[in-house]
Amino acid sequence: MSRAVVFGGAYAIAFFSFLFGPLIIMVITAFNSSKFPRVVPWECFTTGWFAELFGNQRLMDGLLNSVIIGVGVVALAVPIGLAGALALSELPSKLRATLYTVLILPILIPGVVLGISTIVLWGQISRGLGGAVQAGIYNGYFLTIVGQITFVSAYAMLVFIARLQRFDATQTEAALDLGATPGQAFRKILLPFMAPAIGSAAFITLLASFENYNTTVFTVLSESTFTTALASKVRHGTDPSLSALAVIIITITLVGALTNEAVQRRKEAELGGKASRSPLYANPVTRALTHPGVVFAILVAIVATVSYIGSKHDSSVCEAAILQDKLDRQAELRAAQKAKIEAQETEQGITVPKPEGGFGGAFGGLGGAAPTPAAPKPEGGFGGAFGGIAPPAPSE
Amino acid sequence: MPETSPVNSPDRSVLLDHVSIRFGNFTAVDNANLKINSGEFFSFLGPSGCGKTTLLRCISGFSDPTEGRVLIGAKDMKGVGPNKRPTALIFQHLALFPLMSVADNIAFPLEVRGVSKKERRRKAEELLDMIALPGIGDKKVSELSGGQKQRVAIARALAVQPDILLLDEPLSALDLKLRQHMRTELRAIQQQVGVTFIYITHDQGEALTMSDRVAVMSKGVIEQVGAPDQIYNRPRSSFVASFVGENNALKGVVKRQSEDMAALETPMGTFEARVGGGRKYKPGDEALLFVRPEQLVPGQAENAFQATLSRQEFEGATNHVFARAGDTELRVSMVNAGLAGSVGSKGDTLSLGFAPMNATILPVGQIASEA
Amino acid sequence: MKHLTQAYRALANRHGLGAALFVAIAVTLWVVVFITLPQLSMLDYSFRFNLPADQIGTDADHYTLSNFHSFFFNADGSLNTLDLVILGRTLLAAAIVTLIDVLICYPIAYILAHGAKGVAARLMVIGLILPYWINEILRAFAFRVLFGATGVVNTVGMQMGLWDVPVDFIRADVALYFGLSYAYILLMIFPMYNAIEALDHTQVEAARDMGAPLWRVHWRVVLPIAKPGIVSGATMVFMLTAGALAAPQILGGPSNLWFTQVIYQWFNESSNWPRGSAYAVVLLLTCISFVLLMMRVFKVSVGEIGK
Ligand SMILES: Nc1ncnc2c1ncn2[C@@H]1O[C@H](COP(=O)(O)OP(=O)(O)O)[C@@H](O)[C@H]1O
Ligand SMILES: [Mg+2]
Repeated sequence: MSRAVVFGGAYAIAFFSFLFGPLIIMVITAFNSSKFPRVVPWECFTTGWFAELFGNQRLMDGLLNSVIIGVGVVALAVPIGLAGALALSELPSKLRATLYTVLILPILIPGVVLGISTIVLWGQISRGLGGAVQAGIYNGYFLTIVGQITFVSAYAMLVFIARLQRFDATQTEAALDLGATPGQAFRKILLPFMAPAIGSAAFITLLASFENYNTTVFTVLSESTFTTALASKVRHGTDPSLSALAVIIITITLVGALTNEAVQRRKEAELGGKASRSPLYANPVTRALTHPGVVFAILVAIVATVSYIGSKHDSSVCEAAILQDKLDRQAELRAAQKAKIEAQETEQGITVPKPEGGFGGAFGGLGGAAPTPAAPKPEGGFGGAFGGIAPPAPSE
Repeated sequence: MPETSPVNSPDRSVLLDHVSIRFGNFTAVDNANLKINSGEFFSFLGPSGCGKTTLLRCISGFSDPTEGRVLIGAKDMKGVGPNKRPTALIFQHLALFPLMSVADNIAFPLEVRGVSKKERRRKAEELLDMIALPGIGDKKVSELSGGQKQRVAIARALAVQPDILLLDEPLSALDLKLRQHMRTELRAIQQQVGVTFIYITHDQGEALTMSDRVAVMSKGVIEQVGAPDQIYNRPRSSFVASFVGENNALKGVVKRQSEDMAALETPMGTFEARVGGGRKYKPGDEALLFVRPEQLVPGQAENAFQATLSRQEFEGATNHVFARAGDTELRVSMVNAGLAGSVGSKGDTLSLGFAPMNATILPVGQIASEA
Repeated sequence: MKHLTQAYRALANRHGLGAALFVAIAVTLWVVVFITLPQLSMLDYSFRFNLPADQIGTDADHYTLSNFHSFFFNADGSLNTLDLVILGRTLLAAAIVTLIDVLICYPIAYILAHGAKGVAARLMVIGLILPYWINEILRAFAFRVLFGATGVVNTVGMQMGLWDVPVDFIRADVALYFGLSYAYILLMIFPMYNAIEALDHTQVEAARDMGAPLWRVHWRVVLPIAKPGIVSGATMVFMLTAGALAAPQILGGPSNLWFTQVIYQWFNESSNWPRGSAYAVVLLLTCISFVLLMMRVFKVSVGEIGK
C-alpha cells in the first residue's frame, strides 16, 4: 500500500508541475526586461511591462467590448439556461434525453462552426431586412452575443440542472397547499432556492463569454474583444506585457480563491458546530482575522502595496547598461563577421550579398541568446513571430 | 377560503364518495366511502404502502380521484386546486422553507394572500404563542430542534385558518419520547382550534390514543372504520384483528352459531366466542378465532385449555409469556405480580381460559405480518 | 408534440402560467433560432456559389455541389490530398491528444477520488481549477514562452549540453501537442472523478485483499465504473481539440495547418464563405460521426456528457 502512496504522491507532484510550470515561468518573464519573454538570461528586474500592457489601446478597447458583450450574454444566457433546466425537469424521460442531447450539442460542436453558422444566418436575415435593421443586426456586438448564447446557455443549464436535482419538490407543494398560486410558489420558493446557482451561472457564463475565441473571432467582424485582440497580439509577435497580463489574472484568481476558501471554512465551521470549539474562534483577534471580509481586505491591501512599490521601480539604468552591452557585442560580432567574409571573399574572389541586414536586424532586438550569427534554419519560420519585436530590418 | 363559510358554524366535514385512485393498472385506493365529521380527529391507520398518502394527496387537491368524488363542507372539490381548498397539509418531512425565518414560514400563507407586513408579524407571533414557542420568530429553520420544527409546521398550516388539517405521519421523524409528548400536544391543539384533523399513520399507538375515529387500511381497501376501542375490541376482519394490537389466531371449523355467538372446533379444543362483523356461518365453515394475550387468564374456567410454558419476556409491568398447546404457540400477557406471585418457569403446565365475549371469530383472511 | 403540450401543462400547473410561458419561449428560441436555424443556414450556404453581392438572388444563384466537390477533388480530378490530409491529421492529432489526456488524468482522478483526503484533496481541486482561470490564449502563450527558439526549454537544454542549436519545437508540433493536452485536462478529470467517486472504496480494498495486483484491480474494478466518465471526458476533449483554433494558430508550425485554420482562411483571407461553410459542414459531420461511433463502441449514451 505504501508503495502505491509514494507512487501516487510522486505522480501528483509531477502532474501539478506540468500544470503550474508553464504559468510560473510565464509569471517570471513578466519581470525580465528582455524584449522576448524568457527567464534566462536574466537582464533586469522591471515592472515596465505592466505599463506597456495598459498602454496597449487595442487590448483596452477590446476589454470594453468584452464587458459589453459579456453583460449581454449573461443577461440572456442565464434565463435561457434556467428555462432549459426547467423544461428538462418536466419532460418524460425519453423526450428529456433527446432535448438534453440537442441542448448540450452546442458545447461539443466546434466553436468555429458555431461562429460561421451565426454570421451566415444573420447575414442572410439582415440582407433580407436591409436598412437600419441590417446595421442593428449585422455588427460585431449583436452577432457575438447571439453566437455565444448558443453554447454559453448550455453551461448555465448544467449549473441549474445540478441545483435543481437537489430541490425538494414538496417545498413547492407545501407553498401551493398554503394558498400560493403556482406563480407565487415559483417566485417565492423555487427562485430563491436557485439564487446561488443563478449567481454561479452568471459568473461562469461571463467567464465563458470573456474567454471565448473560436466563435468570437468570426462573429466579432471588424471589432475585437479582449481575447481576440490578445490572440492577434500573440500571433503577430509576443512580448512580456502578455506575461504581465497573466500575472494580473493569476493574482486576481488567487485573491478570489483564498477569499472563497475563507468563506467555505467559515461556513463549514459554523455548520459543523465547530465554531465554538475551535481555538481560532475563541480568540477575538484571530476570529476577526479569519473573517472572509478581513481576509479579502488584507489580500487587496497587500496587492495594492506591492503594485504601488512596483510602479515606483525604475529599471532604466540597468536596461541602458544591458543595451550598451548588447550594442557592444553586436558591433563586435559584426566586425568579426565582416572580417570573416572579407577573408572568404579574398579567398574565393567572389562577391556575395551581405547578410547583415536580415540576420542582424532580426537578432538586434532579441539579444544574445543565439550563440552564433550563423542562424539555425528555424529562424526563417520565426520571422513573422518576431517581427513585432525586431526593429525593421533595413533590407525588408 | 374560510371566509366563504358561515362564521358561526362552518361545515368542516369531508365526504369520500366511492373514491378510487389508480396509477395505470395499479389500484392505490379502492372504493373509499366514508364521512369525516366536522371537528373530528380522524386517523387513517395502515402499513406502509397501503395508499394512505395517496388518499391524503387526493383530499388536499394534489391529485384527482380516478373514480368518485371528494366533498369538503358538502362542496364537490373537482377541479379545485390545492391552493383553493380549505385544507392545509403537514408533510411527512414537514417541508418548512429553509431559506425563510420561522416567522416568515408561519406568515407565508398570509403573505401570498397579500396581508400587510405588520399584520403578518402580529399573526405569526400569535401563532408562536399558541404552539408555546414565543420569541423564536427570527430564528432560522435549521436552528430548531425536531419537535420545534414540528410545531412550527403546525402553526404554519393553521395560519391559513383551514377547515381541515391533514397530517401525513408528522411524528415519524421524532424520537420515541418526543413522539409520545407530541401526541398529547396535537390532541390539545386540535381541541383548541376545533379544526377537523385527518391524521395518517402506520403507528397504531398514535392512531388509538389521539383519534375520535380510526379507519384501518390495507392494500388500498378501508377495512374498518370506528372508535379506537371498537377497532381494538370489535375487529371486523382478520387483518384488523391482527394489525391492531397483539392477537392470537386459532384456526378451526365452525360447529354451530346462535345469534352473535358461535362454537369453533380447533386442534386445542372447542371454544365459544363472539362472532365478529355480524357474519353468518354454516357448520363446517373454516374460521379464525382471535383472542388477545391479555384476555388469556390463568385458572379461567370458560374456554379452558392446558399449555406448556415455553419462554418468557420480562418487560417490567407486564410479563410476556409464550405457551405451547399442540402446534400453536400462544402469547399470554400477565401483569407483574411482584415478588408475591410467580408465573412459573419453562416446562410448567399452565391452565388458561378466556371469556367468550372477549374473543372474536372472523372469516379466514389476510393476517398482518409482524413489524 | 403530445408530450410537449403535456410537459407544458405540467409546468404551468406547478410553476404558473408565466413560468411555463417563459420556459416555452426561451427553449424554443434557443433550440430553433440559436441552435437549428444557423446550422441549416450554413448548410444551405455550403451549396451555393461564392457570388458578389449584386448577383445574389439572380439566376446565377442556384445550388451546387462544387464546394464539396473541390474539398474532395482538385480541378484536374485528382484527389484533393492537401485538404483531406489536413482533416485526417487533425482528427488523428485530436485522438492522440485525447488519449494522452485519458492516460495522464486517470491517476489524478483516482487519487482525487480515493487517495487524497481533507486538505490535500481540497488543495488538489483548487490546483486543478486555478490554471483554467487564465485565458486560453495566455495558456498557449505560456507554451510559446516555454518552447520558443529562445525559450526556457531550449536555453536549459543547450546549457546542459543536450543539444547545441535551438530545436524548433514549434515546427515539430511538440509545443502544440503539449498546449492542447494541457488545454482540456480539466474537462477530462472532472467527469472521470465523478464516475470514480461513485465507487465504494472497500471494493478496491477487498480486491487488494484477495491478492489482486494493482493493475488488475484498476482494470477489473475501477475502470468499469470510470468508463462513462472517461467516455464523457474523452468526447469533450476530442471535440474541443478537433475544433480548436487558438492553440494551433499560436503554437502550430507554419506548414502544419489544423483543419479549423483552413476554414478560417476561407472565411477571413479568401472571403469565400460558401467554401468555408462547406468545410465547416465537413468538420461538423466528421466530428459528430466520430463521437457517435465511439459512443457506439463503448456503449455510452450522450446523456452522460456534462454530468
Ligand atoms: N405517482 C405514483 N405512481 C405510481 N404508483 C404510485 C404513485 N404514488 C404512489 N404509488 C403507489 O401507491 C401505493 C401507495 O402509496 P402511498 O399512498 O404513498 O402509501 P403510504 O402512504 O400508505 O405508505 C404504493 O405502492 C406506491 O408505490
Ligand atoms: Mg406515506
